[in-house]
Amino acid sequence: MFKPSFMSDAAVAVTTGCGLACLWYFASTSFLSGTTAQLLGTSGAIAIACLVPTAILSKASARRSNDSRLSMSQRLDAFDRHACINIVNAKNELTEVNDRLLELTGYSREELIGRQVKTLYDEAMQEIADEIRSHLGRGEKWVGETPLRRKDGGVLYTQSTVMPLYDAAGNWAGSITARTDVTKTNELVAERHTAKTLYELHDDIWIVDSDTETFSYMNRAAKLRSSLNGEDYRNRALEEFSREHGTREILEACRMLRATGNTSTQFDTTLMGVPMHVNIKFLLGFAGAGQYLILFNDISERIEQEEMKSAFISTVSHELRSPLTSIKGAMGLLLSKSAGELPEKALALLEIAHRNADRLVLIINDMLDLDKISRGEIDMDIQDVDLVELIKEADQANAMLQQRFGVTVELKGTQSAIAFRTDPNRFIQVLTNLLSNAYKFSKPNSTIVVEVQETGEHVLISVQDQGVGIPKDEQHKIFDRFADMANSDRKAKGGTGLGLNICKAIVENMGGGIGFESVEDVGTKFFFSLPKSQAAFGQAGHQATQRIA
Amino acid sequence: MIRLLHVEDDADIREIALMALDLTGEFEVVQCSSGMEALATITSYTPDVVLLDMMMPGMTGRQTLEKMRETPALANVPAVFMTARAQHAEIDELLQIGAAVVISKPFDPMALPDQIKRAMKKVR
Repeated sequence: MFKPSFMSDAAVAVTTGCGLACLWYFASTSFLSGTTAQLLGTSGAIAIACLVPTAILSKASARRSNDSRLSMSQRLDAFDRHACINIVNAKNELTEVNDRLLELTGYSREELIGRQVKTLYDEAMQEIADEIRSHLGRGEKWVGETPLRRKDGGVLYTQSTVMPLYDAAGNWAGSITARTDVTKTNELVAERHTAKTLYELHDDIWIVDSDTETFSYMNRAAKLRSSLNGEDYRNRALEEFSREHGTREILEACRMLRATGNTSTQFDTTLMGVPMHVNIKFLLGFAGAGQYLILFNDISERIEQEEMKSAFISTVSHELRSPLTSIKGAMGLLLSKSAGELPEKALALLEIAHRNADRLVLIINDMLDLDKISRGEIDMDIQDVDLVELIKEADQANAMLQQRFGVTVELKGTQSAIAFRTDPNRFIQVLTNLLSNAYKFSKPNSTIVVEVQETGEHVLISVQDQGVGIPKDEQHKIFDRFADMANSDRKAKGGTGLGLNICKAIVENMGGGIGFESVEDVGTKFFFSLPKSQAAFGQAGHQATQRIA
Repeated sequence: MIRLLHVEDDADIREIALMALDLTGEFEVVQCSSGMEALATITSYTPDVVLLDMMMPGMTGRQTLEKMRETPALANVPAVFMTARAQHAEIDELLQIGAAVVISKPFDPMALPDQIKRAMKKVR
């Protein structure tokens, strides 16, 4: 039936009923006459006026009821598709789960029904679960964020409403939970938060398109340093920027990353006069395109602190030498009996003091060397030398120690001179260190073999002892600083714990490598190789081989 | 006798060096505690060799030697330096200004007389 939009169903029914009643009255009074006509016309019109609206309203009501059922069903369907729903009984066992929950968690219905609801809980959810139970126990609903554990181990973040359920007798029978997946929302919020943090970070950040080598992002710090406003950096060429600001090193590092297929590189550089540590990551996108994420960390303060530390170490070390000169000198004169004969016990005590003063000198020297190494400033005085002579010199310089530890040294491969270019003092420092270690850890009356071999472009020098060997669990850290100091027995032998670390740095600075083989209770063989070519000096050393025999 | 002028600000080191040199009976030692004192001493004393500490307050060993060299009689006097900072660069620098030998601290007192005699031979 046509119904103007401004009329309600009741108005339509009454109007229609009255209209039909009027028609009936006029028709009956027109065709009939007398009392019959009056009675029929009046009673018929009243009946029509009453019945027709009732019939119309009844039909409208039925239609509305159908509409309402349809609407509710659609709404429930939409809700069911949108939200994860689960019902648990009083024992916290899942009794119903909808498809959406199965879809998002990756479980099958069979895997969940009858299981404890905590199957779905992430570890972080345990505390929340207690809170929910507490609310339900009080007959209250609980609303909040609940992280769920997906079958694949991932986390699904949901915004949940948990309602208590009661049976017909009003007893608590479990709960129904409706959850909305907010994982994406959380991720977006986190991304936005990250983006904001990056923007506000004190470190400079650049993002450069790898194909066009143009800037696609600069955070606030980077823009301030480059005197750029807003998005002035966009599409600006890195090459042009490098020319203007002297950052060619960064451009070349980016190109090198792409050319070599490496994903990251880092180095110290200067960005517009400020010392920086730069970390470049090549983030590969589709079809080989990608972005360079370039992070700058201002290291001015670190450098300043390192310089202060270095100056402090240097000053303290040098200042210690003056009193040590007096202590050692006085003890040396006493030991040489220049002040007359000393009782045997006094002489023994003096020897202990003198030996430890020597050790203190070694520690100071090692500290100075380490300081130089950490600053990359090992001073080298490269000269033409006979390597065999240097080996013999190192051997002779350690004659006293050999005597003290009761060991003998056998030289191999030293029959004829080996012309070589190296820093003689640093070479002797390395060899002396390896020799003194060999003496200290050798069995009494054993022989230490020092061998030199020419192997193509390198010379290989080895020191083999018949000592206690290096325990397997200590071998990996043998070149670390203070590596041997954990062992009190080793400490008692008089090392500083820095020697091998310094040896490694010196050998690698000479372009060589150092390694060892060791078997417990059999012995240890330390070896180092040096390149014959002078060009290799100062380059990073080739990887030392560490083998365990 | 070898006439030696020893310039060292540390009294203990002066004493140890003196004892070590006296043991040989070959040295006549005059000691000063500063560069200024040494420059005053050379107006009346001409040493055969000078033993200088490098780091001294006021005037360093290097500055002291440079001033001494302005005196014609000491223009070529052999100089032995003692230093706690025995780095290659510093040793090279001292050798360039005319040091015959550079001894690093702490030194071996028993070896000191021979080191000085070697320095003198080197200059001759």
